[in-house]
Amino acid sequence: MSVQAAEQWKKRRSWAKEIQGWLFTSPYLIFTIIFFLIPLVWSIFLVFQNWNLISPHPTFIGLKNFQEALASPRVWQAFFVSYKFLILFIPLVMAASIGLALIVHSIPRFKSLFAVGFFLPYLASGVVSTLVVQGILSYDGPFNATLRSLFGVSIDWLNNGWTATLVIVLLMVWKFSGYYALIFLSGLQGIPDEIYEAASIDGANAWVRFWRITLPMLYPAFYTVLILAVGLMFSIFTEPFLLTKGGPNMATQTWQLEIYYQAFNQFRSGYGATVALINAVVTLVSIVIIRRIVEAWGRRYGW
Amino acid sequence: MAQTQSQQAAVLQGQKTRQRSGRRVKGLWLYVLAVPLLVVMAFPYLFLILQSFASWDQVNRTFLPTSFTLRSYQWIFNGGGYLAQPWLQALLNSILVTAVDSICMVALGAIVGYALSVMEFRGKKLINNFILFQMFYPGIILLVPTFLIIRYSGFYNTYWAMIIPKMMSLWAVFMYTGFFRSVSPEVIEAARLDGASELQIVFRIMMPMARSITTIIFLFVSMERWTDLMWDLIVVKDASRQTLNVLLSTMFGPYGTYQGPLYAAGVILTLPVLLLFIAFSRNFVKGVQLVLR
Repeated sequence: MSVQAAEQWKKRRSWAKEIQGWLFTSPYLIFTIIFFLIPLVWSIFLVFQNWNLISPHPTFIGLKNFQEALASPRVWQAFFVSYKFLILFIPLVMAASIGLALIVHSIPRFKSLFAVGFFLPYLASGVVSTLVVQGILSYDGPFNATLRSLFGVSIDWLNNGWTATLVIVLLMVWKFSGYYALIFLSGLQGIPDEIYEAASIDGANAWVRFWRITLPMLYPAFYTVLILAVGLMFSIFTEPFLLTKGGPNMATQTWQLEIYYQAFNQFRSGYGATVALINAVVTLVSIVIIRRIVEAWGRRYGW
Repeated sequence: MAQTQSQQAAVLQGQKTRQRSGRRVKGLWLYVLAVPLLVVMAFPYLFLILQSFASWDQVNRTFLPTSFTLRSYQWIFNGGGYLAQPWLQALLNSILVTAVDSICMVALGAIVGYALSVMEFRGKKLINNFILFQMFYPGIILLVPTFLIIRYSGFYNTYWAMIIPKMMSLWAVFMYTGFFRSVSPEVIEAARLDGASELQIVFRIMMPMARSITTIIFLFVSMERWTDLMWDLIVVKDASRQTLNVLLSTMFGPYGTYQGPLYAAGVILTLPVLLLFIAFSRNFVKGVQLVLR
């Protein structure tokens, strides 16, 4: 075989490799073009259009969608409600998931059993957990029946803004704390025992050890969970959709409810896409700000 | 001398037993804390099951029903009275959509992940970076245009509308890419020298090695597919093609007094996922931590 032939063979082989590589990634490429790139470009056009799905032709209306969205009390309500959820949810879910992780970590036996047991709520379909909550808390439901027989009071849980908010937040805490606990658990397992031993010798009690060692050492897990939880709070749909329809008096109105309502109930595609875009921007900006704050906190502990 | 030594040993022994009993007591209060917590976490499931068997005049009236009946389940399986809904059809729809999508998400994830880690070709790095970008890109912006694509491609109100847009999980691709990168290249070279095709390498050699991560990926993607609400709700309007999750959500209001069957449907909806996880729970914690890291 001449040198030239060898070279040619090598070239062909490298071409074959290229083709094979692209062939194997082709499912991804096709999928990305149809369900990522085209919608991405289309969404840019949509936000400038007035288009209900019944009329055949969209009309260009410039920034009118943005003007309407920024003046809409429904959108502003979604904006405020997402922060209301955030402020209630983050401390509760952090305390619950760190607590669960600590229990699983320090329990001598049946670790996996408890870890899986605490994780099970995550598996519940939002529809089913909502069904259960609605059943328990309905006005003549078992919870009110118990309250009535014990204290003689009945509370209309889902028709009061604050209790309805609290119910949805607690439902989310129930669902996600076991899942987040697994993230904290791997953080806990990464803390070397020597640090605790050294601290004990120095006379630090369990309380001090938790605040000065465990919590700062859990920073990476804390960071991950925080970002997940913030993202989650800007994308709640199922629970308020079924439980309260955003009510009472829009107290549980969320971004996703508004997008669903405008795009798929009122069939206003352009306006729905605009609200979605605003939602995404608000979420991203919020996450960036929260990241900055938490990273500053982390730097104090040398992360 | 020997006496002091044995004394020392006895003292040490005593310390040890004291330590051990101390640990046992400490463990005990942990269980006292953990077991009730477990009951609290399981409570909605217990409530769901109890209500699904409660006789209809007691549904949603008490935490602990006293008389039980199979009527709720009979209602579901017979398609019961005049408010009959295609519950069984919905269950089959759910199984079909979830099974096809989960298998596709795992298989495509493995194939593409293999290409993006083991294979060498121009543009690979770009694609890897683009996947990261896509994973962080807020999907909500794509919702309306993706719906329009489904609507204008004629897939609206068909199984395809539920199946095709969720056939691929970028997360699965990402996980497999990371895992296959850690496989030693000698294994792959040896297989190539033995004349194995690249597809054979993926499914005969790589996948058996990736069993634990595949289990976790499969569990997570199938669970997410099974419980998806918004997408399945907007692309399918005929009750005969709706998934069980969607059908149950549309039954929230109009059923009114027929709450029992809703709980039975809830049990049927929850049980498959629960059983699947419990079946794989032995390696679950370790596997999940591998994935979450």
